[in-house]
Amino acid sequence: MKNIFQQGRGKVVPTLFLMVLSIGLMVTDHRTAHLDVIRSAAAAMISPLQFLVSLPPQGGAWVGEWFRTHNRLVAENEGLRESNRMLNARLQKMEVLLEENTRLRNLLGSARKVADQVSVAELLSVDQNPYRQLIELNKGTLDGIVDGQAVIDEHGIMGQVIQSTPNTATVMLVSDPEHAIAVQFIKNGIRSIAFGNGSTDQLELRYLPVTADVMPGDELVTSGLGGRFPPDYPVATVTSVTLDPTDGFVSAIARPKASLDSSRQVLVIRPREITGRSE
Amino acid sequence: MISYNLLVIPLTLVVGLVLQILPLPSEAQIYRPDWVALILLYWNMALPNRVGLWTAFLTGLLVDVAQGTLLGQHSLALLIIIFINLNFHLQVRVMNLGRQMFYVFSLLLINQFILVWIEGMLQREPSIMAYFGAPLTGMAIWPWIFILLRDIRRKAQIS
Repeated sequence: MKNIFQQGRGKVVPTLFLMVLSIGLMVTDHRTAHLDVIRSAAAAMISPLQFLVSLPPQGGAWVGEWFRTHNRLVAENEGLRESNRMLNARLQKMEVLLEENTRLRNLLGSARKVADQVSVAELLSVDQNPYRQLIELNKGTLDGIVDGQAVIDEHGIMGQVIQSTPNTATVMLVSDPEHAIAVQFIKNGIRSIAFGNGSTDQLELRYLPVTADVMPGDELVTSGLGGRFPPDYPVATVTSVTLDPTDGFVSAIARPKASLDSSRQVLVIRPREITGRSE
Repeated sequence: MISYNLLVIPLTLVVGLVLQILPLPSEAQIYRPDWVALILLYWNMALPNRVGLWTAFLTGLLVDVAQGTLLGQHSLALLIIIFINLNFHLQVRVMNLGRQMFYVFSLLLINQFILVWIEGMLQREPSIMAYFGAPLTGMAIWPWIFILLRDIRRKAQIS
């Protein structure tokens, strides 16, 4: 019997040592950003695997595209042309407005950016931790992506880049439980902070003043406070408002505008001038 | 010659890592067996002198990076089950597959509890099946993993 247990006995010290090391790593990783260097080095090692994993779905999409019938392509083409016309028409108006806006802003002396540069990236089909809301992009530092950049799709804000390797970047969605974004109601300019709660169709607005005029259907845009996200991008629509009688605040649930769980192509915003990061 | 064959071990672990991040529908995610833990357990059972605590620690870190969890989270869980296994592997080797499955289930459950507890400490609310889903499927595929890796080990003549 003694022999059987001998094998593991000598391992108590290294086990405890490594356990303490792991716990130390976890605490450091949770509380500080010192480990980000190690993390991105290891992430760069893993990125080939992530490309490998996302190959089959991408290949499938490509083959599907190839075998599309002519009719459908024609129909799609027509639809696209029509929407293009409409967008162009709208754009003309936009340009006039934009010019006017710039002029007025110049008059006011404010140096707000009017247009941001964007670059297109695609999602890698990689599953992350099921308790978090992270996605992986197929572009990285080599394409000019830097930690902290905002990511949007055609409907609104999706999230921000939290870690970038040469060829991939990890994006934390606005719905991640650790994410918060500074927002503003279009209607009345009330500022608030929208927290993610882990489900892709909900953002929480806590501690709004009771007197705030907030109703379902109100639109939220980024306020630009905090420096991470550029101002005036659509974020969410309020779906329900509750008054908790025990504390003197109103809280609201909003539905993100961006399709967080179905977008395949996203835009990464590059601010023209680096605004001061604050957090 | 033998040193080349030893590369089979990291290779199987890499395959495990790929399976771990393979996209699954979100309802199926909590039933994804912990591939890396299963593969590591096999090698530790078969070759405790080659694959042990350090391998568990480093593999755990890679899993953490791949899954975006806290650095050290999977390391801690893997270290604990590998330590237990180091103490019992001689008895487990002579068990029949049915008993082995139960043993592996217990270890996977410990592994999963540690992972879910750490998530819980970070205020992410896991469901009940988050505890039992992955260990159950892991137990179900253990015999196949065991037989497959045993054949690979014999082919590669590692000992």
